[in-house]
Amino acid sequence: MQPEAYVAHHFPNLRQQEHAARLGMWLFLATEILLFAGLFTAYSVYRFLFSDAFKAASERLSAPLGTLNTVILITSSLTVALAHHWAHHGRGKAAAVSLLVTLLFAASFLVIKGFEWTHDFHEGLLPGRYYASTELTVTGAPMFFTVYFLMTGLHGLHVVVGMVVLSVIMVQCWLGRYDHGYVTPVELGGMYWHLVDLIWIFLYPLLYLI
Amino acid sequence: MATTTNSHSEHDRMEHARATRYWVVWVALLAGTVATFLLSRVHLPSPFNLLVALFIACTKSALVVLFFMHLWDHGGANRLVFATSIVFVTLLIGLVVLDNATRFTLTNPGRGPTLQMEPPGPDILTPRGPPEPATRPDVPPVAEPGRGAGIPAPEPAR
Repeated sequence: MQPEAYVAHHFPNLRQQEHAARLGMWLFLATEILLFAGLFTAYSVYRFLFSDAFKAASERLSAPLGTLNTVILITSSLTVALAHHWAHHGRGKAAAVSLLVTLLFAASFLVIKGFEWTHDFHEGLLPGRYYASTELTVTGAPMFFTVYFLMTGLHGLHVVVGMVVLSVIMVQCWLGRYDHGYVTPVELGGMYWHLVDLIWIFLYPLLYLI
Repeated sequence: MATTTNSHSEHDRMEHARATRYWVVWVALLAGTVATFLLSRVHLPSPFNLLVALFIACTKSALVVLFFMHLWDHGGANRLVFATSIVFVTLLIGLVVLDNATRFTLTNPGRGPTLQMEPPGPDILTPRGPPEPATRPDVPPVAEPGRGAGIPAPEPAR
């Protein structure tokens, strides 16, 4: 399709439409930031009130696995940026391969998260009223795990949604649907993925490295 | 439209940008991750461990937002939207934590820390510090020298 064929009737040209799409995506990402801000507020209050408990509880998490997950997500952000770059230059197959690599990184992030969670379940470090650890009994420790599971859970949900979006875009890239005239879906899907990475960049030191 | 010239130059800048910038940012992000991890093992004293970690996280985020999300190339309203969300997040977290931090003694669960402010008395213009230990209800009175060791302080009359 010629790029101009993608222009909806209420936009004067394609560049205007692109600008609108980008602004709309930023507005949506701002709401996502505020969504996580609510949970970060809960974290901040409980960390302030129970600082010793949070420190002790954070040591029960595996900092090496958390660091590995951070490296994985950062690298997946790189591959998404490269996919956008290559799609923009008309190299659809390279972009699709790059998105496939992103999806593999995302899947391994979820697998590692699964290992971490099951390990915590075995130790009785559960959220809310299910907390059952006999070793970690400082007042406030269960609040750490409530916040931990809620935040990483919501983040994991966003990873899954991002994977679905990127899969669709990957197929479209492979079929050569994007080039320098029209690459908006890759750009917007990429922005969503970068936001997922951004949130993890803050979750990692606050949860694992207290 | 007035925006077309602006959008063309932005578009051209994106067209000619090389992919190397993404690799450079990636290396910087990895360096930041390693730095955060190593600094956390050093166990800096209390507010600094958090401040340093947040500073590094903010720097990494700035790199992701500016270069991976192209906010460096595409200016204008997008930057305003992002900056506004950050302002509101700061207000939300800052004021809520400040609320908790400035509560009076014994009002925080788990005997949590407070800023030890005495409630204002009838004369609210006179500044007061924390009350003397002898008059505080939660701190047991210091044993006077004349007393035998081990004799507990008398129960307050109900």
